[in-house]
Amino acid sequence: MIGKYKLELITVIAVLAFIVLFLYTSAGGKYEFTGSDDAGSQKIGELTGHPVASFTPVIPQYVPPSGEIESTLFALQASAGGLVLGLVFGYWLGQRKRVSVT
Amino acid sequence: MHIMEGFLPWQWCIVWWLIAIPFLILGIRELRAMMRNDREYLPLLGVCGAFIFILSALKLPSVTGSCSHPTGTGLSTLCFGVFITSVIGAIVLLFQALLLAHGGLSTLGANMVSMAIGGPLAGYAVYRLLRDTKTAMYLTVFLVTVVADLATYVITSFELALAYPAQAGGVLASFEAFFVIFAVTQVPLAIVEGCVLALVFKYIVTLKPEILIQLNVFSEDQIALARSRAGDIPPAEAES
Repeated sequence: MIGKYKLELITVIAVLAFIVLFLYTSAGGKYEFTGSDDAGSQKIGELTGHPVASFTPVIPQYVPPSGEIESTLFALQASAGGLVLGLVFGYWLGQRKRVSVT
Repeated sequence: MHIMEGFLPWQWCIVWWLIAIPFLILGIRELRAMMRNDREYLPLLGVCGAFIFILSALKLPSVTGSCSHPTGTGLSTLCFGVFITSVIGAIVLLFQALLLAHGGLSTLGANMVSMAIGGPLAGYAVYRLLRDTKTAMYLTVFLVTVVADLATYVITSFELALAYPAQAGGVLASFEAFFVIFAVTQVPLAIVEGCVLALVFKYIVTLKPEILIQLNVFSEDQIALARSRAGDIPPAEAES
């Protein structure tokens, strides 16, 4: 029984460990959990001696006006993926069922 | 792993774009050939692409106290190789550059080289190394995914180190600094991603083993062995 679901078990343990690790690191309130992209930009500022704000886009770009709108767009990206995923697995499952009946 | 718009000198933007373009051209060619001749692979392509979309939208917290996102390119690399993966990765990065201000058009070349090309190349190397050995199939999938994810962030660190060598210690010193920011953050994320994608691969093996055999991702024997271990088919059938 466990042999059959070994991979599932390992994945659940990995996800749980990940969550516990997060709870542990976030407990002290020491970290802000900003994006590593921003941390990278910060480092570039440090290395060059220019403040981060002085880096202007080479090609003008659209910036989401707020974090809310940004999170909507990210959710949209993930849900587009989820939609395709569900569609294909559903299609495959349906195909398999039809074969087993005939 | 996004290098933000404006944070890469234009000379480097051009260099990375020039490296990325051939991969995109070959990838688009392979994709068009597949759409003409092998339409039965398209659902699997959808699944692989879907995971790149989903996973690269999830910004997860890590031990270093900052957040980063997995790349999800391992599955596509296994099934379709580096070139097609580079096209899917490029689409995701383009979406994020145009609408989310994560990365930008000038740095898109560099970001493609790290996430859509370099990561998959490293993952593919692991796949070629392990495929014909006795390594368990799902372990191979796990390792390919982890390496593709981690390599992406190592390459980003390298790209930034080349553009911004530290005054004391040069490229190597600043590589180390960026490595801590990007790659170390990524380690726990990559491990979880590896587990998840290995699990997804297991479900593909259960539902559509014939596609994986046709694409020659793994040999028929390897897939039969994995299925019998999962209790999917009786062991006797696996040995025949």
